[in-house]
Amino acid sequence: MRLISGRHPFAIAAMGVALVFLYLPILVLVLNSFNASRYGSTWEGWTIDWYARLFSSRSQDIWDALSRSLIVATMASAVSMVLGTLAAWVLHRYRTRLQQAHFGLIYLPIVAPDILMGISLAIFFVTLGVERNLMAITVAHITFCISYVTLAVLARLQDFDGSFVDAARDLGASRFQTIVRVVVPLLLPGIMAGGLLAFTLSIDDFVITFFVKGVGSDTLPLKIYGMTKHTKEMPVINALSTLLLTFTFASVWWVQRLTGNRART
Amino acid sequence: MSNPSPKYSPHRFNRSEWIRTIPSFGWLAFFFAIPTLLILVMSFKSANPYGGFGEGWSLQAWRDMGNPSYPAVTWRTVWLSVVATVICVAMALPVGFLLGKSLPKTRATLLLLIIVPFWTNFLIRVYAWKVLLHPEGYLRQALLSLHLIDERTLLLNHEWAVLLVMVYSYLPFAILPIYAAAEKFDFALLDAARDLGASAIRSFWQIFVPGVQRGLFAALVMVLIPALGSYIIPDLVGGAASEMLGNKIAARLFVDRNWPHAAAVSVLLMAVTLFPVLFAFAQQKKESRPESPRPESAKKGAAPA
Amino acid sequence: MKHLTRLSLVLLSALVLSSCGEQKPVLYIFGWDDYFNPDLLERFEEENGCRIQLDIFDSNEAMLAKLKAGATGYDILMPSSYMVKILEREGMIRELDHGKIPNLKNIDPVYLSETAFDKTMRVSVPYMCSPTGIGYVEGKVTDPKPSWTLLETPELKGRITLLNDSRETIGAALKALGYSLNTLNDAEIASARDLVIRWKQNIAKFESDQYNAGIASGEFLICHGYSGDLFQAQELNDKVVIVIPEEGTSIACDDLVIPTAAPSPDLAHAFINFLCEAEVAAANTEYIYYLAPNSAAYELLSDKIKNESAIFIDPVVRGKSEMIDDLGPEGNAKYNVAWDLIKAAAIN
Repeated sequence: MRLISGRHPFAIAAMGVALVFLYLPILVLVLNSFNASRYGSTWEGWTIDWYARLFSSRSQDIWDALSRSLIVATMASAVSMVLGTLAAWVLHRYRTRLQQAHFGLIYLPIVAPDILMGISLAIFFVTLGVERNLMAITVAHITFCISYVTLAVLARLQDFDGSFVDAARDLGASRFQTIVRVVVPLLLPGIMAGGLLAFTLSIDDFVITFFVKGVGSDTLPLKIYGMTKHTKEMPVINALSTLLLTFTFASVWWVQRLTGNRART
Repeated sequence: MSNPSPKYSPHRFNRSEWIRTIPSFGWLAFFFAIPTLLILVMSFKSANPYGGFGEGWSLQAWRDMGNPSYPAVTWRTVWLSVVATVICVAMALPVGFLLGKSLPKTRATLLLLIIVPFWTNFLIRVYAWKVLLHPEGYLRQALLSLHLIDERTLLLNHEWAVLLVMVYSYLPFAILPIYAAAEKFDFALLDAARDLGASAIRSFWQIFVPGVQRGLFAALVMVLIPALGSYIIPDLVGGAASEMLGNKIAARLFVDRNWPHAAAVSVLLMAVTLFPVLFAFAQQKKESRPESPRPESAKKGAAPA
Repeated sequence: MKHLTRLSLVLLSALVLSSCGEQKPVLYIFGWDDYFNPDLLERFEEENGCRIQLDIFDSNEAMLAKLKAGATGYDILMPSSYMVKILEREGMIRELDHGKIPNLKNIDPVYLSETAFDKTMRVSVPYMCSPTGIGYVEGKVTDPKPSWTLLETPELKGRITLLNDSRETIGAALKALGYSLNTLNDAEIASARDLVIRWKQNIAKFESDQYNAGIASGEFLICHGYSGDLFQAQELNDKVVIVIPEEGTSIACDDLVIPTAAPSPDLAHAFINFLCEAEVAAANTEYIYYLAPNSAAYELLSDKIKNESAIFIDPVVRGKSEMIDDLGPEGNAKYNVAWDLIKAAAIN
């Protein structure tokens, strides 16, 4: 069965090493979610206790944190999908000096280290006297998500065929109709890819959220950090991660199946 | 107005352009650019002895930068990040090469396999490394029994642990850009080189690597800059002698509650990241210059940068 | 795509709907982690028809930083005694209404007269006291002495931790050298600093939070830590032994205070009253292994706790121990400078 064209033993070996390396901790965390030992450095027998504890009322705060993360991520990706698509469109359309500055501003958050964005927003919110609640966290997340959506849509725009738009206008469509019925659907894969990336980044964000957060608004990564530093029930988090991983894996596989037969544009 | 071909009009004030630019530009200017500048400004404020910013301005935060630990910490931050970047890119090149050469179905599976670990929470993955490298854990016991290390060597709470976990965390950021470039690379060039008698290694280094140089530079940037700002990794798996600038910033802010000083250290970090950032910008400018139509290639959805 | 959108809409609405709903009054507590017996918290919630939201800080400075940065929604804070003085000076806490806290009569008068800073409980009520000590894993340390010299065991290099707290760690060195841990004498501070740098050569890291998980799992073999945390580690790993150094140590007491801007001050007073009940204080002590200075509770404690020298400390050692005090900006600066030098010192 041919998987790769040509024979490249070294590259295959490199890929093998990389995959083993990438999956080693994943294996550890999945195994430890069934490990009776609290600390996971040695094996002490099978148990599903941790999963039971995850679904008991003692873990309510974990689920609260998860739902906060999901809410923030959804709002952040929604807003950044709108702002990012608009930005990509105008960057693609115009090549003025304004757009050069615009592009610089879009590109910087991607290359800036998290900790700088975190501390800058912390100082900013404190100076403004703004309450640092979930809204503030969402604002911070939108700020770093816009850039990713923009770049994703820009990449899609590079292959954008303007003649569709011309055709729609020739057939009498209004500007609004053209945008909604022609442009957006054509850009949709880019928008969705950007939105998905934004969602993932937001859910997993720790550093920026850590610096910005205020009272009682722990997102899941913050909750996990609190638990790793204080509580002895880490395996519950391993159980949660295993479940989330299975869930994401399953969704991706399911989406692949749904879209698998469509020709790639 | 509906024809979306680029308008080359650098000097004309275009109202609809401005209206469409304002939302994203305004947001980022307000929540990104201004706060970043604010760090510099606030580093000149005096510190409230009981935490936060005090009244008035002072140079004390900058005088405190004379603390003897900063040069060492800065140097450690830079060399750890550079080494991590080099290792990541070195691993990513053959991996990207293989992805480029794979048939589409294999490629999709491999890509998925590479990305999936990154859908688990970052902290959990670092913590899993703590378990792997634990002094009483299986890995160290195995190495001890194979006499590869002696009783006093520890795998954790050390600079090498920080380096290992950094490479682990940033590897996909190196793989993806190189793969994106490899996808567009014309592998026939390699065959031609082989036909002309070049060895596999030579054709890899002299044809493939320059051929994906855009991806290579993107990979360098996407690993080096976040690596310089690492905070969690040295905090969780590093030891007393593995502090990086990120740790210092967090310590100044949360433990010493000396906000102006934390701001000053952040400015130091900004200065350190300045060179790679400028380099990244120069690369981006080169790339976004309008070019002649490229040969048709199957473009997938979107990969950032 | 359509399936995915519909599914995600359903998911999103489910989430939004599930997070609305609870309208009970909430008591917001800002405190240390693992510092209450959770059953007792539930009991308070039931008895008072409220919900408790517990936020965690890991150091007094972090708590102060958060408060100064504008976190104002708390009803109860749990600072250490020295921090109470600072909070009072900054006008951030209110005087307590003793009428609402009848159980104050249970608080140990000896503690109040000998150790406490706020002897009349004007703004604070003591919650838990614990000495700082050293935990080690039995069998791994040859010839263990209950002394600060344990921290200098070169055979266990890389398996030792010190507290990441300037006052505690420099204080330990000061005690080891026979000085007061609230000293302002430059020479004394300098020699303590040098001692810590010597200790630093053998440590894995400075760690104030994860050492108890670390020693229980065997990652660390000697830990400078709070006795309460070390007891919790002992529960998980019975090879952990806890000693209070004979040269004297620091005793930390965490107090309950109510911020001036507390949203529910009556509920807050009720909570303090609850914690001062003899039964509740004894239950908390049994759970956390810190000592609630509550004389009515002492009789209710189990023999195991009563005989534990790391909880009811030997009076001689106790006489040599002190509580860490706030030294004002200049005093604190001396320790900060010394601490910076310690952190900067190289490990050979």
